[in-house]
Amino acid sequence: MSAPTLQDIRCCFEGIIPAVVATCSAEGVPNVAYISQVFYADERHVALSFQFFNKTRQNILANPHATALLIDPGTAQFYRLHIRYLRTETEGPLFEGMRAQLAGIASHTGMQGVFRLLGSDVYEVEKIEALEGDPLPAPPRRNGLLGAVRRTSERLARCASLDEALTAVLGGLNDHLGIRHAMVLMLDPAAQRLYTVASCGYATSGVGSEIGLGQGVIGVAARERTPVRIGHMTNAALYTQAMRSSFDANMPDHEPVTDIPYPGLAQPHSQLAVPIQSGGRTLGVLFVESTEELQFSYEDEDALVAIAGHLGSAIELMQAANEAGDAHPAPHVPERPVTPAAAVPLVVRHFCANDSIFLGDSYLIKGVAGAILWKLLRDHRQLGRTEFSNRELRLDPALRLPDVSDNLEARLLLLQRRLVEQGGGLRMEKTGRGRFRLVLERPVNLVET
Amino acid sequence: MAVPLPPDLVTMMVRGVSVIVASRDATLRPNLMRAVGSRVEEDGRTITVYLSRRQSRQLVQDLAATGHIAVVFSEPSTHRTVQLKASRLDMRNADPQDIPVLERYREAMELEIQQVGFAPPLTRAMLAHRLEDVVAVRFTPEQAFDQTPGPRAGTPLGSTG
Repeated sequence: MSAPTLQDIRCCFEGIIPAVVATCSAEGVPNVAYISQVFYADERHVALSFQFFNKTRQNILANPHATALLIDPGTAQFYRLHIRYLRTETEGPLFEGMRAQLAGIASHTGMQGVFRLLGSDVYEVEKIEALEGDPLPAPPRRNGLLGAVRRTSERLARCASLDEALTAVLGGLNDHLGIRHAMVLMLDPAAQRLYTVASCGYATSGVGSEIGLGQGVIGVAARERTPVRIGHMTNAALYTQAMRSSFDANMPDHEPVTDIPYPGLAQPHSQLAVPIQSGGRTLGVLFVESTEELQFSYEDEDALVAIAGHLGSAIELMQAANEAGDAHPAPHVPERPVTPAAAVPLVVRHFCANDSIFLGDSYLIKGVAGAILWKLLRDHRQLGRTEFSNRELRLDPALRLPDVSDNLEARLLLLQRRLVEQGGGLRMEKTGRGRFRLVLERPVNLVET
Repeated sequence: MAVPLPPDLVTMMVRGVSVIVASRDATLRPNLMRAVGSRVEEDGRTITVYLSRRQSRQLVQDLAATGHIAVVFSEPSTHRTVQLKASRLDMRNADPQDIPVLERYREAMELEIQQVGFAPPLTRAMLAHRLEDVVAVRFTPEQAFDQTPGPRAGTPLGSTG
């Protein structure tokens, strides 16, 4: 049997059957210990979870040579890894990825509170042996993941707006990868928060709900710019997104009235969050979850990273195109006559303090998107305008939009979707690249507070 | 001198739980393998672990050359784990008299592993061996350490006197 690569044996790194590691003291006394996690770091490195100050720890600091025994949980094929200790990481993507996975393993094995990651011990892999034996036949390989990525990618390539792109990605995950619960969150770099712009498979869309950077599986993936994958339900508070409200109760910016509920599953058994990046910047997070254990393998992670990469590039390109929107006037889309109902006008209330907007008594939106809507409504009242461009919003000093790294298109999409969900008779319609129209189906009464 | 082991621990070991064997070579490089069987005398003083040679060539060489052995016994369903160490051992080829020991061990492990969610075929594949390829390693534990995950992990058990 030719020597396998780390890539070939990634199924051994799920922590389903614990690995064992042998070390040796400087005095020549061997030691053997179970290890909760052998984590795939890259093609030539693995990281072992450092959870306790034990003999293994003492030994590798004195003698860096170690040998790990891994088993394929599907076939019982054994692999022996000859490894050499290099360093310990206590923060960063590798550490956070391991910490999240360990929280899942701990909950699964009843070891919450006992398993705690103190560090990621990084080892160079010197040799991998596939041991002789009588393993079970390998289960049939999952076919079609690459095809699923391709089809999702094709759908994405046909999109001309962020709205379409997000629909294409969520549709692709559902149709081609069998993923039923998914959401896309965009990063607000100034506020250090992520806001939901699209979701599927939940009772409520949760569009507009927010998560702090570093909070939960999603927040950690964004902060550390690394995929975070948990294969078991975890009770570890750090990874429980649904706890948001009680978590943030002590935060100064917490306002229950303006808190759109997080849409995710109350008890996810598998979670995978993948950062959406482009040009070295984090734009947001693609998040999927399931009610089943071990639903997402490293292969699903590979697929989602590829899709998130394509989505990241698409978002950047669309934003660039929309910012230049005025240079390419779109074909005129005739305005449909709107007959404002003679009925009661809609009271739109704006609170300066946080730019929150209420339609009647219902909370709509706050922050940048709130400020944008208020500007549109005021321009409509004072100047009778209904046609707007992304570019003018970007350039409007009164809006104090964050720098270009902020995704205006995502803010507008969020606003557009919230307006549709609230059904107050206000709408935004896209009329061309970087252009849109404000539609008022009934008279509005603007109130500044 | 043999280290005395708590009776309930010996009971667990006698019943048959996961066994991993380690040693090291002259340059202090460690090696390890899962045992395909174990036999623990009721007094916990004489322990035999069985290795499949084709999976453990270097390990068997290291054990023979150095006499150093480290073994963990671990109950998968409870994580209860103990590590035993010795600096003297003897080795022999397994013979037909060992068959009942190996079979009993496999049956015990099938039950154990089933409790953590894996069907017997996986356990059988994990412990697969050919008798003529199996080596029996016998030793008397000189040191024992509690290795159950938690704050007491690493605590020596008993005393070497």
